[in-house]
Formats: sequence, structure tokens, C-alpha cells
Amino acid sequence: MKRTISTLAGAAVAALIAAQPVLAEETLAIGVSDALTGGAAVYGLPQANAVKLAASEINAAGGISVGGETYMLEVIAYDDKGNPTEATNAVRKLIDRDGVKYILGFCCSGATGAVASFIEYEDAVMLVGNAAERSITTREIPNLTRTRPPADYTGAAAGAFVAAKGHKRVAVLGALDVGFYASYVDAFEKELNKAGGEIVTREAFALKDRDMTPQLTKIRGLEADALLVVGYVEPAAFIYRQSVELGLDLPRYGFTSGSEEQFLRVATSEQMEGVWDLRPTELTLLSATENGIAYHENYAAAYGISPSPSSPYAYDQTYALKDALEAAGTVEDTAAVARALRELAVPDEVVMQYLPIDGKMFDRNGQAYTSNGAFQWRDGNWTFVQDLPSDPVAYSEFLSTLD
Amino acid sequence: MIEILQQIVNGIAIGGVYVLIALGLTTVFGILGIAHFAHGSVSMFGGYLTFFLVAGQGIPLVIAIPVALTAGVVLGMAIELLAYRPVRKASHINAFIVALGLTMMVEGLNLEFFGHEQVVIPTSFDRVFNIGGVTLPELRLYVILAAALLIAAMTIFVERTKTGQAIRAVAENRDAAILMGVNVRTIPLVVFAMSTALGVAAGIMVGALFAIAPGIGEGLVIKGFAVLILGGLGSIPGAIVGGIVLGITESLAAGFVSSAYKDVIAFLVMIFVLLFRPQGLLGKAS
Amino acid sequence: MTRIAVSLLYAGALVVLIALPQLISVKYYLHLSILALIWLIVSQGQNLIQGYTGYVSIVGAGFMGIGAYSTTLMGMHLGLPVWLTILLAPPMTAVFALIVGYPSLRMKGHYFAIVTLAFNLVIFIVLLNFTELTQGEAGITGIPKPAGWLEALNFRDREVYYYFVLAVAVLTTGIAWAIVRSRVGQILMAIRQNEDLVGALGVAAWKYKLFAFVASAMFAGLGGALYAHYQSFINPEVFGVAQSLDAILAVIVGGSGTLAGPMIGAFIVIFLPEYLRFADSFRLIIYGLLLVLATIFMPRGIVGLAQDLGARIAGRR
Repeated sequence: MKRTISTLAGAAVAALIAAQPVLAEETLAIGVSDALTGGAAVYGLPQANAVKLAASEINAAGGISVGGETYMLEVIAYDDKGNPTEATNAVRKLIDRDGVKYILGFCCSGATGAVASFIEYEDAVMLVGNAAERSITTREIPNLTRTRPPADYTGAAAGAFVAAKGHKRVAVLGALDVGFYASYVDAFEKELNKAGGEIVTREAFALKDRDMTPQLTKIRGLEADALLVVGYVEPAAFIYRQSVELGLDLPRYGFTSGSEEQFLRVATSEQMEGVWDLRPTELTLLSATENGIAYHENYAAAYGISPSPSSPYAYDQTYALKDALEAAGTVEDTAAVARALRELAVPDEVVMQYLPIDGKMFDRNGQAYTSNGAFQWRDGNWTFVQDLPSDPVAYSEFLSTLD
Repeated sequence: MIEILQQIVNGIAIGGVYVLIALGLTTVFGILGIAHFAHGSVSMFGGYLTFFLVAGQGIPLVIAIPVALTAGVVLGMAIELLAYRPVRKASHINAFIVALGLTMMVEGLNLEFFGHEQVVIPTSFDRVFNIGGVTLPELRLYVILAAALLIAAMTIFVERTKTGQAIRAVAENRDAAILMGVNVRTIPLVVFAMSTALGVAAGIMVGALFAIAPGIGEGLVIKGFAVLILGGLGSIPGAIVGGIVLGITESLAAGFVSSAYKDVIAFLVMIFVLLFRPQGLLGKAS
Repeated sequence: MTRIAVSLLYAGALVVLIALPQLISVKYYLHLSILALIWLIVSQGQNLIQGYTGYVSIVGAGFMGIGAYSTTLMGMHLGLPVWLTILLAPPMTAVFALIVGYPSLRMKGHYFAIVTLAFNLVIFIVLLNFTELTQGEAGITGIPKPAGWLEALNFRDREVYYYFVLAVAVLTTGIAWAIVRSRVGQILMAIRQNEDLVGALGVAAWKYKLFAFVASAMFAGLGGALYAHYQSFINPEVFGVAQSLDAILAVIVGGSGTLAGPMIGAFIVIFLPEYLRFADSFRLIIYGLLLVLATIFMPRGIVGLAQDLGARIAGRR
């Protein structure tokens, strides 16, 4: 017992020393706060991996050159379990104790909202990845940017698309307790109503639910002419499978952003056939640019698993930060770096397809926009069919009017 | 009418899983008085292990299942010996804290070994039966049958075998059982072996019919406890009735009242039942 | 240990707590200390029902949530000043605790524990889905700090907030002490020992149990309100079952049924997981292992261990 404790203590001391950033002149520590354990790890862990991958690529290519000095990046990643208190603690530790000024990651809205509520008062820059809750970028926090567009930006485009297909009675089954999914549906509904359609029911499921047959049975009895599925890929995949098992014969649209691999774990390709996914043009191999294909290869080589479709939001953060640091010519003055981020052109290395606003990656709210795309499942693959009509400039204006 | 029938059929499959989880919990509770919170995570470990053997190693399901069950038996006994036995004399809340610690450890180990992606145990059962408008996927039918079979096997073990009688004797009256010469040191081991094997079986069913992912086990164990007190703590028939009642209640609540509040409705039904029968549906009044 | 020695220990602890912000150079630890003091308040309440009365309630975090949301929503919609809404949070929580406690306390032992757990889940799901009121999972951001009186007393300053929470923590610990020392406290402990006997003596045990339950909820509600105004952000995630289990842990690890136990326990449940951050993904495993080992080797918590050691030293002399 005594030995266990002393070994543990020894390990603790060793690890504490190791975790202490060795602030030699040429090292810049950047932080990651993300869900590395728990239910949200499926989003957080790939994001942390993506930042580490980008950092190692940047280092291998000679680091970041700022004001004549060359900096190598060192990543300190802490687990926030997607929990607001844990995220606050992790970020406080990064800023106060580890002396980190640049914090990336942030997959999940609750944890991100908690940090966003105080980051304005800190000498730090926060780069948000996959968290899609709109209110994170409505307050024009000067030292915060986000790579993923808010869900309602995409939802409006999706609603117009589905309405144009002539559907009048759409049944919704979604993770409606999650704010950004609900706002996707709200924006979707608005566009659908304009075209004379309506949402006939809004059924919900929780993050841990995998049995959707009760909700689908109800929808089966409603004579809807289309089904809209919004939610994380893990539960959503079961909706597609169980809808076929229940004999529900409807056109199916979704907002799920899962990879082929993630869906095929749950459903057969026949059960998925014809499903639409209406979402930001995230990473799918068939729609990927050269950067995307390289990212997929390098990520798979480094971690032995395919990258999740949304993980490039974190990868792209890292390159945006690199360019902003170089443009600002300082690693110390976070206000200057935050300003540089707002002025930044889209970096060459990014994976996602950003639509710049006035030639800049982020608008004045700190929000980036990707194109939205309609993907359809055909013969085992998500196939890019067409761009969804999206108007980032108009949305950006609208976002600026919110508070 | 078909819709109600369909919802009941929907509820029975998930109810069967609840029954298996609750049976493992109720034997441990009835005989040892331990609220074994780690049961869900241990069950998930069994599911993960089966997935690893089938999908990772290419071992056929019929071989992988007994291997996982055996691993469950060993793990269950190890948990009893190393974690619960040292706190047996302390207050029950201490065993509960041990259970919490175990839950974190097993969840953490699952994540380390098997990763963060959800896994589904691959099976080749993908036909769907249609009986007068009510649809029933083949796999669901087998899960319901397997659960029924396991419940029967366990009942026979407890009712008909010598070890089973000894277990019941300890549950009825510990001191008298000692006087009658029952070995009370091995009984907890047997109970944990049996309980964990049932849990692993439930984990495999969840893994095949639904999925295993971080956090799923904790959700299931809470449902399992709800079943336990709904049916009556320590009561085996109570766990069976309670599990099926909870499964069907959830299904009907989601289909006819509100899918967002289906768990709230299920819990309120449980609390309502307990107001009139504080010992649960089939529990003995104390 | 003599009374004087114990009083000296408490006085010493208080002096350390008062001096703490001056000793801390890294503000991160001040932040954790504020959280720990909030947990101290919650754990003192948890100790009343769990430690002294012997009823393990798993709805502590749910009541924190009710306190946190009621202070926030009253401020947002009624425009009441922060001071008033913080003061109103515990009575609001008490109303809910009466509704929850009446059916729950008809049950004993594990039945009680699981029914309270179910209530925590119900609170959680309602907070999550009643988005018109709670803004759901996205959470409420920009919750105001209490208004200061003077320039020097700015509650944005973490040091000021620390002393504010410390004062409340001392006050609530005093209330807990007074309850435990009173006749009510004696009856609660008698209920823990033998509830049937208490009933046989003609005491209406349910009234006392309900009192302990509602009092513990008020402590939790107050802790939740302080949390909301400190973090300026709340969402349902913070008030889930996992956090209720933390409150139980704090009581057990510190020392159940003692006044000092929850104080020590609260600091442990906040600081220990933070210290384990170095272990990265092994953090959960190590924390779990430490819990198991601590429960096996210190069944009466840290206070119990200290008492045993004290008794042994006294015996040797």
C-alpha cells in the first residue's frame, strides 16, 4: 500500500514536471480544452488529435516565425468531459498556471458557453471548433473565433432545399434537447413554411437513446411525406436502420455529419440508400479537396483510425492561429493576435471549404462560414450532389444584429 | 390498435434488456445488500469484449459469447474479492462508494482498450417479420428469446440446485444459513459470478441490438435500479415484471405522450407505484 | 481530543482560509478554492440528511440546479437585485424539496436513495427540455455578479468573491452546527441509529426527516445560487447525477456525521480530480482507484482516521 502511494506520488511528480511547459525561447505552448472522456469524447478526442497533428506538421515544416524568432508548438490538452465546470477549470489551469495564451478545441456547446462567458476578460485567445450553438458568436467577443458555422445557417439552406423537392408534411425526429439542433429545425421550418409546407411533429430523443422505434412508430401513423433527422451520428444511424425495419417508406433527410464508417457500423448500405445529409461541406472523402485527402491519410497514419468529419474544424483552427501569430508579429500581445485573426485570409492549409466574408476567414463576430452541401447516400458512400443555396454575407449581417 | 400493439412489441425488447440488467443487480442486492453501481460498466465491458473478439479477431459469435461470459465470471469474482469483500463489514454507503470508484475505473479502462467510437456487434440477422401489420426484426425476436431463456436458466439454478438453495438461504437469513453449514465465504463469489455473467449477456444484447459507447452503461444501470425498486428489491420475479413494465411504459410514453419526457414519465410512474406499494410491485413488506 | 484543541483546530483552519488568497500566487487555485467553498456549503447540507440522519439522498445537485436557475431567472425576468435573488434561492428550493421529500421519505434505505436519484434525473431532463424557460443545453450566459457597495468591493474580482463565499460557508457551517447540537439534531441521530425506536417513543420521525431533507436542499440551493453568480454561466449538465454523487463522496471521504468531514471532503472532490489532470486519459481510472482504496483503508473518512490516530497517540502516552 505504502509502495503504491509512493510510486503514484513519484509518477505524479514526474508527470507534473513533464507537463510544465519548458519555456525555452523557441517553444510556444498552446492549449486544448475538449472532451477526451465521456459521451462527448467522440467529438472532442478527434479534435484534440487534429490540433496535435497540425502542430506536429507545423513544427516539421520549421515552426512559426514571429518577429524574427522561430517557435515550435507544444500542445497541452486537458479533458473537460464536455462539462461547463470542468471546462472552466481546465481553461483556468491553462491560463493561470501553465501560462498558455491560445486555447483551441471546444467541441461542445455547454462547455464552450461557460468559457466564452469569461474569456473576454482574459489575456488569451479562444478558438472554438465544433460547438455549433449560435449564441457563442453573437456577442462579438473580440478574442474569440469559431470555425464551424452555427446550425441555423445550415438549417435555413436545408429547409429551402427540402421545400423545393415539393414536400409539404415533414416529420422531425431529433436531439431537440440540444440547442443547436433545435435551432437548425427552427430555421428549416421557417423556409418550409414559406413554401407552404409544415412540420407535422417534432419528436425528440436523448443522447444515449438507441431505440427509436417508439418515435418512428408514431411517425408511421402520421402520413408525413418526408422525415428529417437531426442529431449526433451515433443515435441517428439507428433511426435510419429502424425506419427501414419498421417499413417506413419516406424520403429521409438529415443533419448528422457522420462518416460512411460510422453509419455502416450500425446500418447496412441498403438501409442507408437514398438518405440525404444537408450540412456544412465537411470532410467526406468523395468531396474532399487535396488538403482533405492528405489530412485523412496523415490522421489515419498517426492515430490508426479515420478522422471524424468534423475534426478538421480543430485542424483548421491551428493553421488560422499560425497565420495570425505570424501576421501580428507577436506571441505575447493577444489583443494583436485576436485582431489579426479577424483580418485573416483563409489559410492555404485548411481542410474545410470556407466562404470568406470580404476576403476574410472570420467575420466581425469571429464567425467563419463553410459552404453547405447536399450529400446523398449512394451505393455505400456519401456522394456530393449539389451546393445548398447559402448566403454567408446575409447570415453574417443577421448574426451581427443578435446579442 | 396496431400502433398500440407495435409500441408494446417495441417496449418488450428494451424491457428484456432491463430485466437482465436488473436480475444481476437484484441478486447482488438481495443477497449481499450491495448497490452494485458498476454493473452497467462491467456489462458494457462484456459487450466490448465480444465485439473485439468478433470484429477484431474474426472469432465466430458462438465462440465469442461463451468466452465473454467466462471473462465476466472471472471479473465478477475478482470485483467481489478485491473491492467489495474488504468493505463488507462497513456501512452500506461505503460499498456504494466503492461501486462508484469501480464504475470510473471500468469506464476508463473501456475507453483505453476499446476507444471512444460506438461499436455494434455484427450479426447476420437482418430479416424483418411482419405479423398483421406489426413489424418485428429477427434480431429483436432473438434477443427477447435469449433473455427469456437466461431468465429461465437462472430461475432453475436458484430454485433447483444445491448452490441455489444455499444462496436463497443466505438471502432469507444469513445467521441461520451459517448455522445450517452454508459456506458464506463462497456464496458472494458465486453470486457475483452469476450476476456479472447476466450483465455480460445483457451487454452483448445491447451491443448487437443497439450499441455500446462511453456512458451507455451508466444510463442502463440507473434504469436497472429503477426496475429493481419498481419490482421490489431482491425479488427475482419483481425484476422480470418491473423490467417489462418499464420498457413498455417508456415506449407508450414516447409514442402517445411525449418523446422528450418519456424518461420523466417512466420515473414518475415508478414513484407513483411506490407511493402505494413502498416495497415495490412484488417485494415483501418489511 | 479536548474541546479546546478542537476549537483551536477550527480557528486555525479559519485563519488559513482567510489568509489563503494572499498565499496563492496562481489564480487558478483561488478559482478552485471558491468552487471548493461552494461545495463545502452543499456538502454540509448533504451531511445533515446523509451523515446525521442516515438517509442517502442522490438529488443534491438537482437542488443546486433549482437554486441556480431560480436566482438567475428571477433576476432576468423580475429584475430583482442579485442580493435578493440569492436570498430567495434557498426558500424556492425548499418548496421543491417539500414536493420531492414527501413521497421520497415514505421509503427507506436504498428505495429512498434511488427515488431521489430518479428525482434528480427528472429535474435534469426538465431543465434540458423546458427551453423556453431555461434555454436548455445551450445554457444561460452573462449571469450578473452581485453589485458591490464601494469601488473596492467589486465582485468581478475573484478575491472579493472568495471572501463572500467564505463568509457564507462559515455562516452555513454555523447553522449546521447549531442544528446538530439542538434537540432536533439529537433526534436526527437517533433516527439514524434506530428509527423504529424513535417512533415508539412517540416522536413523529417523518417531520424531523423532512426537516433534515428540506434543510439540506436549502444548503444545496444556496450553493447553486452562489455557483451561478460566480461562473456567470449555467446549463443543466452541471446539475446532473454525477455531481450529486460528488456531494455524497465529499461527505464520506471527509467523514460522515462530523462537522469537519464535509469541509475536508469538499476540498478533496474539487482539488483531487484537478491534480490528476497530468494523468490525461488515465485520470478517471486513477481517481476511481483512489476512491476504492480510500474507502477500504479509511472507512470512516479522513476525520475518522484522524480520530483513530489521535486516540492511539493519546493511548500511548
